[in-house]
Amino acid sequence: MSTHFDPTKHISSSAAYPEVSFHHHDTDDAAFKKKVRKTTILLSVITIIELAIGLAIYTIHKGENPNALLVLMFKGAVCILTLAKAYYIVSVFMHLGDEIRNMIMTIVVPLMLFIWFIIAFVADGNSYKNLRNKYDKHFQESTMPADHHKKAEEPKPADAGGKQ
Amino acid sequence: MSEALSVHPEIVTTHDVHHDEHGGGHHKETFISKYIFSMDHKTIGKQFLITGIIWAIVGGLFSVLFRLQLGYPGQSFPILETFFGHWAKGGQIQPEFYYALVTMHGTVLVFFVLTAGLSGTFANILIPLQIGARDMASPMLNMLSYWFFFLASVIMMSSLFIQTGPASGGWTIYPPLSALGQASDGSKLGMDLWLVSMAMFIVSSLLGGLNYISTILNMRTKGMSMTRMPLTIWAMFFTAVLGVLSFPVLLSGAILLLFDRNLGTSFFLSDIVVNGEVLPNEGGSAILFQHLFWFLGHPEVYIILLPAMGMVSEIMSVNSRKPIFGYMAMLGSLFAIAILAFLVWAHHMFVTGLNPFLGSIFVLLTLLIAVPSAIKVFNWLTTLWRGNIRFTPAMLFAIGFVSLFISGGLTGIFLGNSTIDIHLHDTMFVVAHFHIVMGVASFFGMFAGVYHWFPKMFGRYLNNTLGYIHFWVTMVGAYLIFWPMHYEGLAGMPRRYLDKSGWVSFNQFGDLDKMITVVSIIVFAVQLMFVFNFFYSIFKGRKVTTQNPWGANTLEWTTPIRPGHGNWVGEIPEVHRWPYDYGKDGRDFIPQTEPIGANESKH
Amino acid sequence: MATTANVHQTKWWSGGKSPFNMEYGKLMMWYFLMSDAFTFGAFLISYGSIRFSQNFWPDPNVVFNAFPGAGHANLPLAFVSVMTFILIISSVTMVLAVHAGHKGDKQAVVKWLAWTIVGGLAFLSCQAWEWHHLITGEHATLIDGQIKMVGQTTTVNPWGDLASASAVADALKNTSHETLVQLVSSHDHSVSHEQLAGMSQEKLISMVNAADLHIRENGPVAFGGYFYGITGFHGFHVFSGVVINIIMLIMTQKDVFQKRGHYLMIEKAGLYWHFVDLVWVFVFLCFYLI
Repeated sequence: MSTHFDPTKHISSSAAYPEVSFHHHDTDDAAFKKKVRKTTILLSVITIIELAIGLAIYTIHKGENPNALLVLMFKGAVCILTLAKAYYIVSVFMHLGDEIRNMIMTIVVPLMLFIWFIIAFVADGNSYKNLRNKYDKHFQESTMPADHHKKAEEPKPADAGGKQ
Repeated sequence: MSEALSVHPEIVTTHDVHHDEHGGGHHKETFISKYIFSMDHKTIGKQFLITGIIWAIVGGLFSVLFRLQLGYPGQSFPILETFFGHWAKGGQIQPEFYYALVTMHGTVLVFFVLTAGLSGTFANILIPLQIGARDMASPMLNMLSYWFFFLASVIMMSSLFIQTGPASGGWTIYPPLSALGQASDGSKLGMDLWLVSMAMFIVSSLLGGLNYISTILNMRTKGMSMTRMPLTIWAMFFTAVLGVLSFPVLLSGAILLLFDRNLGTSFFLSDIVVNGEVLPNEGGSAILFQHLFWFLGHPEVYIILLPAMGMVSEIMSVNSRKPIFGYMAMLGSLFAIAILAFLVWAHHMFVTGLNPFLGSIFVLLTLLIAVPSAIKVFNWLTTLWRGNIRFTPAMLFAIGFVSLFISGGLTGIFLGNSTIDIHLHDTMFVVAHFHIVMGVASFFGMFAGVYHWFPKMFGRYLNNTLGYIHFWVTMVGAYLIFWPMHYEGLAGMPRRYLDKSGWVSFNQFGDLDKMITVVSIIVFAVQLMFVFNFFYSIFKGRKVTTQNPWGANTLEWTTPIRPGHGNWVGEIPEVHRWPYDYGKDGRDFIPQTEPIGANESKH
Repeated sequence: MATTANVHQTKWWSGGKSPFNMEYGKLMMWYFLMSDAFTFGAFLISYGSIRFSQNFWPDPNVVFNAFPGAGHANLPLAFVSVMTFILIISSVTMVLAVHAGHKGDKQAVVKWLAWTIVGGLAFLSCQAWEWHHLITGEHATLIDGQIKMVGQTTTVNPWGDLASASAVADALKNTSHETLVQLVSSHDHSVSHEQLAGMSQEKLISMVNAADLHIRENGPVAFGGYFYGITGFHGFHVFSGVVINIIMLIMTQKDVFQKRGHYLMIEKAGLYWHFVDLVWVFVFLCFYLI
C-alpha cells in the first residue's frame, strides 16, 4: 500500500501541508487566554439571559391573561440571542474569525440557504394547520386548546407564533 | 517571500513522490492494492464507471420489462415466468412486480447510474488530471467513497432477491405507502433495505463530494487559477457542492421514515386507515416528507445534469476547434443554476395541498432557471457556429445533448407553472419531460465523456463505427420513445398505471405504446452493443499512439499515454493560460502549459 | 513576521497553494460540518414545520421541570441549564487543548483533552437521566376517555392541554382501579397504599381531587418523536465526539503528533467538538426555550 501517493506522507515536520504557505499562531498566550475567558463569560451570560426569558414565558403562561404578543417578542429575543451565541462559538472557538475572508464566505454564504429553507417549511406547516382547521372540523375541535381551562365556544383563528 | 516559499515545498514534495514510485523497488503493488482497494483516482473512477454500467444494464432491463406490460397489457410472455416465477405468473407481469420494476428503475438510474456512475466517474478521473494534481486531496477517503457506494449497491441488489421484493412505492418513496408494511409487499423489508442502502449511498456521496471540493480548491497546480479551469471542473465543483448540501436533507428524511416504520413515531403519518385497521398514528404530515425529499430531489436533478453540461462544453470546444463561447457566462450560469437548484424544490408538489401562495413563489423561482439554461444553450450553439467541427462519436453525443436539453427543457416551463401542472401532474407528459432533459440528456453527456476520455482511461480507442451506430440509434430512439409520451400526457394519460386499456379515451394510444415498447427494446439492445464495445476496446481497441489524440489544451493530455499513480513523470506542469485557446493567432490549439507569447493577441 | 507582511500581496487563487491557506483535511472537516449542519437543520426545520401544523404544543417549562434528587419539585429549565453549561465548558477545555497543540505542549494537550472527555461523558449521563426520567415518568393523562398514568414516549404525550373538569369527571368512571389508587395516593398521604387498594371504585373516585392533579389531555405525539429523535441524534454526535477525543488522547500519549511535528489532528477533532456544542445551542433553543 505504501507506494500510493499520499501528500502527507512525504513531508518533513516543517512543511506539513505543501498547499499551506504559513501557519498563523495565536498572537500571544495571554491575549488568547483573555479572549477565551471573555467569550466564555459572554456565552454564560447570554445563556443565563435566555433562561431568564424562558422562565418569564413560563410565568406569563401561568398568569390569567397570557399576552401572546409579549410571548412572541420574548421568543424572538431568545432566537436572536441564540444566533449571537452561535456567532461566538463559530468565530472564536472554531477560529473561523481568524481565517481568510474568502474562507469565511464559503461557510457563511451557503448558510443563507437556510433562510428560504426555514420560511418555506414553516409557512407550509402553518398552511397545513389552517387548511385542516378549515376542512377537518374534528381536527379543529379535538386539538384546539381550551381557552383558560374551559372549552371555547368559538375557537379563535390560530395565529402563527403564539399557540402554546 | 511567502509565495516563493509556499510553492517550492509542493514541487519538492511531488518530485519525491515520483522518485518513490519509480526508484523505490521495495514497495510492490499487489493486485488488491492496485485494482481492488486502489487509492489511485483513475482506478477509482473506472470502478465507479464499471459499477455504473452494471447498474445501468439492470435498470435498463427493468424498463424493458415494464414497457412490455405497458405496450402489451394482458399479453402473456411465458419466458418471464421462467425467469421471475410468481412475480410473472402465467407470463404476465404482476402488479407488485410492475411497481417494483418502476421503483427500482428510477432509483437505480437516478442514484446509482447517473449520480455515482456519472459524477463519481468523471469527477474522479478528470479533477486531478485537469487541475494538475497527483491525486485527490485524500486518496483514502476517495477509496472509501467507492466502497460505501459498493456497499449501498450490495444492499440495494440484495433487496431484489428477498421474498417480499424490493421497495415498490415509486423512487420518491412517499409515505404513508412507503411507511406501512401492511400497505404493500414492497413496503416491507425491501423498503428498509432501500433506506439503509440510500444512507450508505449518501455517505459515499459525501466522502466523494468533500474530496472533490477540497481538491479543486487546494490542489490546483501553479498558474491554474479558478478562471483557468476547464468548465468540466467547474461543473464538477458545483455538483459536489450541491451534493454536500442537499444529500444530508434526504438523510434526515430517510432516518425519520425509518423511525416511522420501525419505532412507532408519527413524523409523516396521521389519520390512516389501512385494510380496515385504524392506525393510532397522529399529527404527522406526509407533505413534510415530500418537502424533505425534494429538497434533495431537485438539486439531485442538477447533480445529474451539471457534470454532463461541463463535459459537453469541453468536448464541444475541442471538437469545434473554437474557444468556448462566453466562458464567464457559462460559469455564471452554472453558478446560478446551482443556487436556484436549492430554491425551487416545491414545484414537484403543486398538487399535494401545498399552500397555493407559497406555490406561486416557487413558480417564479422555477421559471428563473430558464435564464441560465438559455444562456448555456446559446453559448453551445455559438460555440458550434462557424466551427471547424470534427464529428467524433463524442462530439455527436455532445450535440445530441444540446438537442435533448432544449426539447426537454422547454417542457419544463410548462410544468413549472402551477396552473398548467394541475392538468399535467403525474401524467406521461412528466415522464417524457424528465426522461429527455435529465435521463437521456445526462446519458448523452456521459457517453460523450466516455468516448472522449476513453483513450486517457485505457490507452485505447473505442470502436468508431459502433460508436456512430450507437449514437444514431440512441438519438432517434430516444425521441421516438419519449416524444409521443407528451401527447399521451396532454390527453391526460396517467403515469405509473399498470394497465390503461380499461379507459376508452386512452385506447387511441394502444398502438403508440406498442411502438414505444419496440423502440425501447431496440435502444436497449444498442446500449448492450456499447457495453460490448466498451469492454472489448479495453483489451482489443486501437491503441493510442500520441499523447494528445484530440489536439486538446487541457492538462490531462500532457500526461503519459498510460499515466501511473501520480499522473505526471517529473514535475507537474505549470499553467499559463485558459484552456480554450483554439484557432488563435493562426494556430490550431495552444496547450495550457505554453507561456503567453510576446505578441500574442488577447482572447 | 515577514509572512504576515506579505499576506496582502499573495495571489491566493493563482494555484499551487490553498486559497484559504488551510490544509485540505481542515477544509474537508469544515465542509463536512456544513453538510452535517444541513442534516440537523433538516431535522429541526421538520420539527418546526410539524409544530406549526398543530393547534397546540406543550410548554417546555412544564415538560422539563425535574432535577435529579429533587423529587417532584417544580424546577423548570434547571437541569437543562446544567447540561448546557457542561457543554459550554467542555468546549472551552477543547479550545485550550487545541491551543496547547499549537504550542506543541503535550502535557497540556493531554490535560485539556481529558477534561473535554469528562465533560462529554457528563453530558451523556445527564441526557441518559433525562430520557429515563421522561420515559418512565407517570403522569395522569386523559386518553381515550379514561385516565392513564403515562410517560413521554413516541406514541403518547402527557403534556397536552389541561383537561376540563367535566371531562375528567367522566373519565374517572372509566379509569382502572389501579390507576385510581395511584391518583389518590399521589395527593392524599393519610391513607396507606394497601388500604386504598382495598377500597371500591366509587370510594376512590370520590377521594380524587381532580383540581389538584392538573390532569392533561394526550398532547401532540410528534413532540416525543422529535425530542427523542433530535436529542438522540445529537447525543450520538456527542458520543462519537467523545470517541474521537479518546482516540486523540491515546495518539497524543503515544507521541504520534509529537513525531509528526504538528497537532493539526487535534484541531480537526476540536472543530467537530465545537460543532456538537453549536448544535446543542439550537436544540436548546428549539426544545427548551421556545
